[in-house]
Amino acid sequence: MNIHLTGILIIVGNYGSGKTEVSINLAVERKRAGLDVRVADLDLVNPYFRTREARKLLKDHGIELVLPPEQYMHADLPILSPAIAGMLRRPAEVTLLDVGGDDVGATVLAALADALQHQEIRMLQVVNPFRPFTETLEGCLKIRREIEAAAKLKINGLIGNPNLIDETGPEDIYRGYDFVRNLSEKAGLPLEFLTVETGLLPEIDASRFSCPLLPVDRQLVPPWKKAGGGGPSGPILRP
Amino acid sequence: MAKVLMKGNEAIGEAAIRAGCLNYFAYPITPQSEVAEYLARRMPEVNGVFLQGESEVAVGYMLFGAAGAGERVFTTSSSPGVSLMSEAISYIAGAQCPAVFVNIIRGGPGLGGILPSQGDYFQSVKGGGHGDYRMLVMAPASVQEAVEMVMTAFPLAEKYRNPVMILGDGLIGQMMEPVEFPEHLRSEPSKKDDWATNGMDTRKSATRNLVKSLYLDPEALNNHNLLLKSKYDRMKQEEVRYESYNAEGEYQALIVSYGTMSRVCRTAIDHLKEEGIEVGMIRPQTVFPFPEKAIHEAASKENCRVVLSIEMSMGQMVEDVERAVMGKRPVKWYGKCGGEVPTPEEIIEVVKEHL
Repeated sequence: MNIHLTGILIIVGNYGSGKTEVSINLAVERKRAGLDVRVADLDLVNPYFRTREARKLLKDHGIELVLPPEQYMHADLPILSPAIAGMLRRPAEVTLLDVGGDDVGATVLAALADALQHQEIRMLQVVNPFRPFTETLEGCLKIRREIEAAAKLKINGLIGNPNLIDETGPEDIYRGYDFVRNLSEKAGLPLEFLTVETGLLPEIDASRFSCPLLPVDRQLVPPWKKAGGGGPSGPILRP
Repeated sequence: MAKVLMKGNEAIGEAAIRAGCLNYFAYPITPQSEVAEYLARRMPEVNGVFLQGESEVAVGYMLFGAAGAGERVFTTSSSPGVSLMSEAISYIAGAQCPAVFVNIIRGGPGLGGILPSQGDYFQSVKGGGHGDYRMLVMAPASVQEAVEMVMTAFPLAEKYRNPVMILGDGLIGQMMEPVEFPEHLRSEPSKKDDWATNGMDTRKSATRNLVKSLYLDPEALNNHNLLLKSKYDRMKQEEVRYESYNAEGEYQALIVSYGTMSRVCRTAIDHLKEEGIEVGMIRPQTVFPFPEKAIHEAASKENCRVVLSIEMSMGQMVEDVERAVMGKRPVKWYGKCGGEVPTPEEIIEVVKEHL
């Protein structure tokens, strides 16, 4: 089963649900599938661990990343680059918007309403059931309503991102999958794909899933994991 | 209980609730604003209070007032905010009230920047406010440890009737790790009837309690300071905490590092081991009281040629390391601040340079 997403994809979800890891890895996957991909970092609420930290990786893959001006890269200012409205008016084959967390983070989308008008868009909600406030179906549905109200857009699909970072085991993936399956039924939204960290893939029985898998290579890692092969963006250190 | 994936700042907020603290006063500042964001949602669910002050100065005195009335209180802030609270911290220590402060350090001085730093070591350990006071200061290296330190901080603050500080760098607040909240660390607030202004009716007392830091009589003030000193001396006896890494056998160099910086050092130590270079590490978990004896002993090991203080600051903890080593070995400093965390490769280079 393959991922078939194209067009303008807006990645939303509760705070810390993994939108940025999903966006970066989805961008690379779509590029590898032969599509022209552009990404915009719309996270105006998070101070660390943003898409901008993967700018080298994305550049190496030939993926364009739209960011605030360089001198404001480490400012906690809600800067919305005018280039984003432009890229939405002339979208690439895949245009990914990595939006900040919760309804607060999604508010920025309302500011882009003009540029998004008359465009085919899919807004996808990332769900990690091991995060606070989204460990119940009700919690996920509440976030959905709040994001839709703030963004003035409807959510069209779900992305299952069940993980405890380094401590994720196959059981967590299966449990998380069941959870997002139930959510998908209850919300009446398709489950677009499920993420699994690359290292965990050999232990996973993929026949259990009725949706595509997105293998994830973690990019937003703390500095001590960057040596000795901490993902493709980390400097590889060999004695 | 199953683990949850939490951002350090969220976990710190939840840990305070789990520890039985239902009073949180704060003012938002990057990179710790998620604590307020999280507790704005959670406190109403547990009938707790989150009150946002008009500034950190006000927050400091909200803590003083509520602590003086016998309530468990805590706040979180980041560097410039803690500077503003420092006056109140001195008053709280002077009036012997228990309170828990969390500082998620950002780069300084002044407005500095929003990325991680350990530049507030002196401020926390040597006293950012005025007068002869000390805080018990704990420095977590992981989100799980931050949870455990926050939960432990409340009974410790009550044991000493003194402010306790959790000193985390920006990474502790911002990174996500799986955590659990150990049930055994939940504690009952201590009885405060003999000193708190918690109402004469409730404690059925005829005597009034007075919470104050004012002593105009010089002898009384000296005695008060001697009493405070005896508490700080007791902390040095009873509360020193540290962790050693790769320090059982012989090593050529000893690293002293705390907080998330120590995790970078661990990675470096593992790589150096593969190259046949043994390096030990002492990680202070309390930076006041400082694990002087442990560092002195570790530095005194036969093959140890140098001691390195590795910090995200321009040489602050190194002064305490020098004091602990007492000239037994050369002590060197390496560090960076401004948000760039030294990488494992840099640490490896620094160690090799000094061997």
